[in-house]
Amino acid sequence: MFISMKWLARHVDLSGITPEQLADDLTLSTCEVEGIERFAPHMSDVVVGHVLEREPHPDADKLGVARIDVGGDEPLQIVCGAPNLAPGQRVAVATIGTVLPGDFKIKKSKIRGVESRGMICSVRELDLGDEHDGIWVLPEVDETPLAVGQPVAAALGMEDWVIEVDNKSLTHRPDLWGHRGIARELAAIYERELKPIDLEMPALGGGAPVSVRVEDLACSRYLGLAIDGAVNGVSPDWLRELLLAVGQRPIDLLVDLSNFVMLDLGQPNHAFDRDRLASDGIVVRKASAGERMTTLDGEERELVESDLLITSGGDPVALAGVMGGEGSKVGDETGRLLLECATFDATTVRRTSARLAHRTDSSARFEKTLDPTLPEAAAAHFANLLRGLQPGVSFPCALADAGEWADPARSIHLRGDVVRRDLGVELDDDAIASILSRLGLTPTATSGGFDVAIPSARALKDLTMERDLVEEVGRIHRYGSVPEAPLVGAIEPPPFDRRRQMVRAVEDRLAGAARFHQVLSYSFTPDDLLERTGCAGGDFVRADNPVAPDMARVRREVLPSLLGLVESARRERDVVRLFELGKGYRPEEAGEDGMPREVHQLAMVLALPPGVAGAPFDAGAFFQLRAAVDDVITAAGVTAPCWASADAAHPAAHPVKQVSGAWSEDLDGCGFVASLEPGVARALGLEGELTSDVAVAVLDIDALLAAPASPPAYRPLPKFPMIKVDVACVAPSEMPAAELGGMIERAGKGAVRDLQLFDVFRGEALGEGKKSLAYHVVLQSDTKTLTDKDAQKFLGRLERSLEQQGAALRR
Amino acid sequence: MTDTTTILAETRARIADAPDVEALRAIEREVVGKDGVVASLLKSIPGLPPEERKGAGQSANELKQAVLAAIEEREASLGSAALEAERRADGFDGTLPPPRVERGTLHPVTQVTRELEDLFTSMGYMVLDGPEVELDDYNFEKLNIPADHPARDTQDTFYCSSPGSSASLLLRTHTSPVQVRAMERLEPPFRAIVPGKVFRQETTDASHEHTFHQMEGLVIDRNVSVGHLIGAMKTLLRGIFKKEIEVRLRPGYFPFVEPGFELDARCPFCTDGCSVCKRTTWIELLPCGLVHPNVLKAGGLDPEEWGGFAFGLGLSRLVMLRYGIDDVRHLLGGDLRFLDQF
Ligand SMILES: [Zn+2]
Repeated sequence: MFISMKWLARHVDLSGITPEQLADDLTLSTCEVEGIERFAPHMSDVVVGHVLEREPHPDADKLGVARIDVGGDEPLQIVCGAPNLAPGQRVAVATIGTVLPGDFKIKKSKIRGVESRGMICSVRELDLGDEHDGIWVLPEVDETPLAVGQPVAAALGMEDWVIEVDNKSLTHRPDLWGHRGIARELAAIYERELKPIDLEMPALGGGAPVSVRVEDLACSRYLGLAIDGAVNGVSPDWLRELLLAVGQRPIDLLVDLSNFVMLDLGQPNHAFDRDRLASDGIVVRKASAGERMTTLDGEERELVESDLLITSGGDPVALAGVMGGEGSKVGDETGRLLLECATFDATTVRRTSARLAHRTDSSARFEKTLDPTLPEAAAAHFANLLRGLQPGVSFPCALADAGEWADPARSIHLRGDVVRRDLGVELDDDAIASILSRLGLTPTATSGGFDVAIPSARALKDLTMERDLVEEVGRIHRYGSVPEAPLVGAIEPPPFDRRRQMVRAVEDRLAGAARFHQVLSYSFTPDDLLERTGCAGGDFVRADNPVAPDMARVRREVLPSLLGLVESARRERDVVRLFELGKGYRPEEAGEDGMPREVHQLAMVLALPPGVAGAPFDAGAFFQLRAAVDDVITAAGVTAPCWASADAAHPAAHPVKQVSGAWSEDLDGCGFVASLEPGVARALGLEGELTSDVAVAVLDIDALLAAPASPPAYRPLPKFPMIKVDVACVAPSEMPAAELGGMIERAGKGAVRDLQLFDVFRGEALGEGKKSLAYHVVLQSDTKTLTDKDAQKFLGRLERSLEQQGAALRR
Repeated sequence: MTDTTTILAETRARIADAPDVEALRAIEREVVGKDGVVASLLKSIPGLPPEERKGAGQSANELKQAVLAAIEEREASLGSAALEAERRADGFDGTLPPPRVERGTLHPVTQVTRELEDLFTSMGYMVLDGPEVELDDYNFEKLNIPADHPARDTQDTFYCSSPGSSASLLLRTHTSPVQVRAMERLEPPFRAIVPGKVFRQETTDASHEHTFHQMEGLVIDRNVSVGHLIGAMKTLLRGIFKKEIEVRLRPGYFPFVEPGFELDARCPFCTDGCSVCKRTTWIELLPCGLVHPNVLKAGGLDPEEWGGFAFGLGLSRLVMLRYGIDDVRHLLGGDLRFLDQF
């Protein structure tokens, strides 16, 4: 919203206050000022010129050559085509170097051979209106011609500053949507008087009031003032200039006055041509479905049942609070008016203007919930201003006043101690009362505080409880003068938060030693990605109003978000390691409150170039990722789970190359590690030169939290040396390595300190359906030095147990 | 009879020319070894006239000592030459690029969040979490944002449907719902922060995102004043910017606080206006305020007994400020070329 300083000065004396200071003070006490600008800055650049003579151009019939005195040593010669230019006039002259609106810079020129040293401006060239039939002949001020050579703005008293206020900072203050409201704040801030204005309704005639019937509660008050004898035409300069300053184009007197009243008091209003209304007057009602009307801007609009209408003779004449109708607008010949000042429901107006994507100065104000006593003041203001300009107008009948409303004015009890406690300042009761009074509130001292009378303008939503008044005192007193105070009280360390500690440990390990990159993703997963990853199954929470139609689904799990990044990441580099810790939502497991169950997951992806023949068995992505997962579980301080081959761990998991982890039957599994399903890999574009060896893993953080903890524990250093034995077992292909490992552990009778698989081999030499697994085994005893004899005993036990299971030891 | 002087001179010349220790050992074997020159000289002594025997023995021994001394000397000088060569390190160029160290990274939002969590936990704040899919009631109603408030218009909020649920769900538009959840769950007094993801239905561009990170702060205690709020915010800013920052508090409207403020910090990047502060020298940093009595009531606390303050910190914005990131969409974009930089 734009505020004019000159306009404000009609309500409060601003002498001695700079625009910058005013902007700062408003920002610190009331609302955010976004910028200040000089009004019509070029008006300070053009100067008053005196036309000394005008002669015809020797070489062009329509042009004249004028000599203009602009206060310099010599008059300027200027070529000008305006028919109304005549000696003796005072005119606005743009001299060489001046820049006019539209970045138009005046240069010395030759027009048809005659030198011209400047330009004589029309109203339109100065962006002050549409008139361009001739140059702007400057008026006299106080019946004296303007002094030559001074800037036009200064000469005409047009200097003004425009302050732009952030509308968002006025959301809760409908009273600030007009200059008088802002002026009241400034009066309170600067401790100056708010000048009275005449808001008394003029004498009204005895005729029958215009009939107004309100049929819908969305209009709580509808006030109609009949005016006769108005003569429409061009508004006086002061009115045009104020409107121009705040960005409102002057139209004609009646429209300009209507706008002025709205921008002055904050009450939108609308003037109808009474002669163009039906004889039964006004009916305010909701639209019926499919009803149509043509609004002032010439657009035909289709209405819905929630739109509130002003109708006459059954037809809509205005879309309540948003815009007038084409049929009843005032024109040049309008003499008999009906001025509407009404109170419409905020939500109704907001919905209609949002639906039509048409916000107006009027709808913006109604959306804030307006004071139902304001229409009367606005009608009187309009009437008095019009009468001041046109003493011949009359008001033939009583006000039409319909609707049901209650004066929201109220009283709030305010305790001085509460003000001091909440603000943390020593402010005595007198100072508090002074601030409240300056804001137009009326405090009456009672025991321990005040009963504060809140006028209707502030009482609707803004000031409803004691704390609201604390804010009033605080902001005018200035928060900057509140002394900083330390929080006191015992500082207890916050309770231990295992989840957070675990998450940090996991993040640190992955981003550190494991060299993964942490990703944070959107919670929406595109439909297409869900399809490609095979993860589109199951119920999803969906946004009703997504950013794009295919972005409605709120993710159930984290993994697809990471998979969506693999292709582009693999284009960048050979090895891609990504992880994300995040949440997913499962509608099918909703709680009693109807909220979907939240899962907290760690998802990991490792993508490598495809493996080469002869590479060690554990060089591939699956085993590399399993190693990282085991390491992360250790870092999380959790006992290692048992990994067993699984099937259907996840739709993106390879049907065979996958394992699931669990601790015991009565605990939830921790998740899975798998190679990427080959079809999914292709669907993700990982083919051709991007063919990759990809492994994925998902761990459930809640399962990790529920699992047996395994914090690092000290073990005394061994007293006896270890011995190393290499063993190679030949086993049926289908026998899991975990089973062989178990046999080795048992054969060691507690002496196996470490077991490391270093080779897996399949080949003709072994025979069909066989594999060979070779391990480094470390044996160590707590009670004696092991010898070769002990190693042989161990191998003997292992051999027997292998043979029982259809396997063998290669000696 | 060979002249030992000649032998010595020749041997000395060979020793001086010996290129390495192996060559010296060969000379040593040849001259003073078991079957060497000196040994054969000594062997020939018994065949000499008796008066020459003593002199010949002496000469042979002198030859041996002189050769050994020469070898030792030469060996020392060869050793120091080797050291010297090693030290000279001909052709070394330390500016050749080293092999690249591959590393992982923590997301910048995680890094800044952690820093703030550490700062706040050191001041007795708990770190709380809350659901991203939230009930309308907690996101709005209990935060004193009634049904007809403009902030509830669909243009800002992602309203949600969940199969089988009739609850009014949405993606939380701020971390503030956790204020009420915390009041319901915890015994006052307490202090808490809530970092997390929030959502706004808006068109994205370099400075707007529909998903970003915020951090809520909440202090519930007796007799909490605006003065305490200012003190806490200044401490927070010192923690973030590692220096004293000038602040100003101005009125700001947020339905769940009263009075509500915008806290501006003096732009840490300039003294007379820059693009970060939009030439104003102030950066709008922290919306904050005293917890609204209606919110305390919604959380089950008596506003006559308990009060508090709350603040919201734009984590995504802070990350952008700290690293000079010019496009907010990088934060959740997952581009390795971005992630690698932190
Ligand atoms: Zn700056």
